[in-house]
Amino acid sequence: MPDAVSSSLPLWQILLLIVFLLLALAAASQALRCLFRGQSSEEDRDWSVPPLEASKGRSFFHSWDVRCKIIALVGFSFLVVSLDHLSLAFGALTVSMVALIAARIPFSRALMRLTAVAAFVALLLVIMPVTVPVHPGDRLVVLTEKQWLVFNLRGLDLALTIGAKAMAVALLMEPLLGTAPLPITLHGLSRLGVPKLFGQMVLLSHRYLYVFQEEAGRMATGMRVRGFQRSSGLSNLRVFGSFLGMLFIRSFERTERVFSAMQARGYHGAFPEPETKTLSCIDVLLAVLWLLAGTCLVLADRLMQ
Amino acid sequence: MHIADGVLPLSVTLGGYLAAGLVAALKVRKVRQEELPKLAVVTSAFFVAGLIHIPLGPTSVHLLLPGLAGVLLGSSAFLGIGLGLVLQSLLLQFGGLTVVGANTIMMGLPALACGWIFHRFKKTGRWRQMLLGGLMGGLGVVLAALGLALLLVSGGEDFWGVAQIALLAHLPVIIIEGLITAMTVGFLARVKPELLLTPHHFRSESPHA
Repeated sequence: MPDAVSSSLPLWQILLLIVFLLLALAAASQALRCLFRGQSSEEDRDWSVPPLEASKGRSFFHSWDVRCKIIALVGFSFLVVSLDHLSLAFGALTVSMVALIAARIPFSRALMRLTAVAAFVALLLVIMPVTVPVHPGDRLVVLTEKQWLVFNLRGLDLALTIGAKAMAVALLMEPLLGTAPLPITLHGLSRLGVPKLFGQMVLLSHRYLYVFQEEAGRMATGMRVRGFQRSSGLSNLRVFGSFLGMLFIRSFERTERVFSAMQARGYHGAFPEPETKTLSCIDVLLAVLWLLAGTCLVLADRLMQ
Repeated sequence: MHIADGVLPLSVTLGGYLAAGLVAALKVRKVRQEELPKLAVVTSAFFVAGLIHIPLGPTSVHLLLPGLAGVLLGSSAFLGIGLGLVLQSLLLQFGGLTVVGANTIMMGLPALACGWIFHRFKKTGRWRQMLLGGLMGGLGVVLAALGLALLLVSGGEDFWGVAQIALLAHLPVIIIEGLITAMTVGFLARVKPELLLTPHHFRSESPHA
């Protein structure tokens, strides 16, 4: 690595840094978890009712035509993930945050999405600086004189860029999905040319997911009451296997009943369609503006090279 | 393990969507149209099963289940897994919206392979099915992990290290998943063997309608 710029830090400082970083991450995730626990236990809600419903807020996201909304936000997401530079990825993250605030939806669900992404990003942040191959011109931080552990700042930059892009897209999911009921969003998707069957299947499994979640919860309660304790012995795996088997038997049987019921109510392979609004100029204009913003980001990204 | 947004190059994410769409279109033709709602309902059971955490020493792992999906759904497994991943992305942000296609290829093709092998060699006999089921449970994760590593490597040599570590991290999951799938298949063979009988559950006339 003759051309690489390197600077050295004593080993104990680096170790301390890592420990601090891990502690901070653990504390943050714990705090978030407490936050969610507190919120979900407050409202003792019926888990068989899907939560992915529209919030009742009023914002331009709520009144935006759903087709334009899908095209603009999904198109923007694809543009964002093709960015290469950290500064522009943060620019995209800023756009997403502004969108989230403008959509005026509860922050908790966006936070849940961020924690789901954060685990993956944290993994990359730890692994990539150590494993990225060294190119000429990279800035390295060498620990101790023996050079057995080298931090490549280019890897850190890469991981941060990925993290910012992932979070930018994750934050857009709430304005996309949380501002209209799911059936309307899926209907918009089918009017854009996606097969109707797809929307139907998503709707159906989305609905039954909560039914089975409740069923699994009931079975777990039954197991606990009979003295089952979670641990990782072989006999315990057998119990888990039976648990899963029972869940599938019940689901296959329920499937047949659900389908019979659907047929009895006249199901012909189509659901009744929700009423649709007519497309206004402003809807289209907003979508075009949004996509233009994304294109500008990508152009700037390419010019920076 | 699902890939998040922003890791893969744009060409791979778009190619993933294209490939997944093609395979799904092929598979939809094989399934009778009116059976698709049933597949959707069963998929939600797989979704819930994927949320269960199995304790493993100090931590816990959650199940991926491509092997079991292949065993139970046969050639519809690809559709079920694609649908499940769409839902995971929409509801839980497990795997990003832009990589749903690539993730579906990564998990769906192993499921198809496992389903085919299981129904080709299962014959009868509870122990044989249990053993084969366990092998398929492990194989499903092996193939999915290899797919994950391949996809990561498509991002360039910078991702070699990440791919290697991702492969290593799947080793305990392979064992756990194999054992659990064996137990589940053994349980089904004892309690409701007809679920293992029909490889194309959603194509044939349903045995217990």
